[in-house]
Amino acid sequence: MTSASRAHLTRRRLLAAGASLGLGAVAAPYVARAEEPVLNITGWGGKWGDVMSTEIGPAFEKEFKCKLRTDTALPFLPKLQASSRAAPIYDVLHTNSNEQWAAAEMGLVEPKVDPKLVPNIADVYPYAASDKIVGISIFTSAIGLGMRTDKGYGPITSWKELWDAKYNGVRGGYVIPVNSLGQAFVMMCGTLFGKGQTDLDAAYAALEKLKPIKLVDFTGAMEKLFLSGEVGLGVIHDSGIYRYDGQNQPIDFVTPSEGVLSLEQVLTITPGSKMKELANAYLNYMLRPEVQKRLAETVWYSPANKKVKLEAKYDAKLLTTPEKVSKLIQVDWKWYNAQKDAIDSRINRIFRA
Amino acid sequence: MGRPVGSHINGLALLILPSALLFALFFFLPIGLMAVMSLLTGNPVVVPHIAFTTKHYQRLADDSYYLEVIWTTIRIGLWTTLIALLIGYPLAHWMARIKSRAGHALLLMAVLAPMLTGIVVRTFAWMTLLSDKGVINQILLSLGLIEKPLQLMYNETGIIIGLVHIYVPFMVLTLTGVIGRIDERLEQAAENLGASPLRAFFEVTLPLSLPGILAGSLLVFALAISAYVTPILLGGFQIMTLPILIYQQISANFNIGFAAALGMVLLVISFMLVVAYNHMLGLVSGQRELQ
Repeated sequence: MTSASRAHLTRRRLLAAGASLGLGAVAAPYVARAEEPVLNITGWGGKWGDVMSTEIGPAFEKEFKCKLRTDTALPFLPKLQASSRAAPIYDVLHTNSNEQWAAAEMGLVEPKVDPKLVPNIADVYPYAASDKIVGISIFTSAIGLGMRTDKGYGPITSWKELWDAKYNGVRGGYVIPVNSLGQAFVMMCGTLFGKGQTDLDAAYAALEKLKPIKLVDFTGAMEKLFLSGEVGLGVIHDSGIYRYDGQNQPIDFVTPSEGVLSLEQVLTITPGSKMKELANAYLNYMLRPEVQKRLAETVWYSPANKKVKLEAKYDAKLLTTPEKVSKLIQVDWKWYNAQKDAIDSRINRIFRA
Repeated sequence: MGRPVGSHINGLALLILPSALLFALFFFLPIGLMAVMSLLTGNPVVVPHIAFTTKHYQRLADDSYYLEVIWTTIRIGLWTTLIALLIGYPLAHWMARIKSRAGHALLLMAVLAPMLTGIVVRTFAWMTLLSDKGVINQILLSLGLIEKPLQLMYNETGIIIGLVHIYVPFMVLTLTGVIGRIDERLEQAAENLGASPLRAFFEVTLPLSLPGILAGSLLVFALAISAYVTPILLGGFQIMTLPILIYQQISANFNIGFAAALGMVLLVISFMLVVAYNHMLGLVSGQRELQ
């Protein structure tokens, strides 16, 4: 009886121990991570996402002993809008300036970043922390014109050449209601043909004359139109063209004489975040020269930090000096967002087939 | 004595309970929430001090653009349904009446094969055919039949072509079941009484298949008016439909209340069309109400 009882107990213990070990092995990483602070952020996919998830993100996690959880599934703002103000789904919102202004107007993000908590702000170009920016801009792209170089178009120097009838059928632009580049371009139309950015009547008249035009909702789609030759001249930001550098593609970026529009990559912190200290550390980290250099040379974004020294081929094309940065035209997004419903309604009419 | 009938009914009702709960949870609750959101100034879960308002509906009524969008959506839905019916009915009739099992299997595979590919892939496939640099335009240009590319997409025609391709299988599968259940001897009797095959079809088969036509058409219409991917890709953002406008309001304008109001309008219009269609088909088939 003794031996039978011992055998029975041993089997049960063995099973229990095995189950415990199995459960422990499965749960261990989660238990360990549960103690790590988690910083919820947003971010882009593609090359940006690759370098963030393999290099920049892990280095931040190691240094600050935390976990970065990145949401790359657009749209970010409606998700933040639907989450509790006291427990927002993001600690740091990374998006373009127009959405940051909308988020700030709704009280979803803090309008300004404290330079004492993010010391690297001292080294940024003035545009990155100007009154046209909510939060802090960590990079910018230049919105200008992209062109096919194999169509014999000749030198293009002005935005106004986009209205030339010879580009009918190969003209490209963005869906204005849903895209930052499209919205910035509306303001440029007001500047080109009217009294300034806010001259909407002049902008509407100019947009009406821009038809026929192929419209896309994001830059990846515009790049494909350029590469396939469906678009010969169109609105795009410099990164969308420069990222094909060295691939023998017959496309080039044009910086119009009237200036380029700024497409800022902006970071803000949500007021309800429980990770404020870590969020500020993340903002400061993203402004570090070495981080800025690595990202700039990966995705062809112009760094906001003045101290960044890029390799010659990047330095030649990106906005890395005060002179080059001075060509940037920043958009008054607060004003634009206040008019957005009316603008969308009018522009949807203009571009309907 | 035997158990009362009522207890049997209660037992069966319990079996329906899970699906009824599921339906309530995933249909009535979201629709109800959408209706409430369309009448509020903000989201009560996250924003304090919200109030009831009719401003979203007022905006819809004040701007004729939204009525044009609604009509465009319905027009695309109606054309898609009509063309899917015209293509699908003969195919369904053939499938229902074919004697060969192998033939039926082949037809069924032909109908189902496109459904094995995702909507996005099928829409992109249409784009490679219909775009300016697409197969059709390039062939026509190389043959010298046209001087510049035909506008085959970025218009309603392109959207309807894409939607019909995607939704014809739904029409065919719905109709096949109904036509297959119609007793062929009824047609034979009509022909024995002197009716031509065509007249026998129009006076016997077609009226008896009306429930299938109704079900298939409603299914295709509902899917077509709520389609997002195909209209946005083949319309090139130049054809605005309600689902695109609703998404735009949520993702770019962050106006959930107005998006909800647009959703409610789409729902009400669809419901009215369904009732009207049902009534019309009832009258055509000589029945007061389709059972």
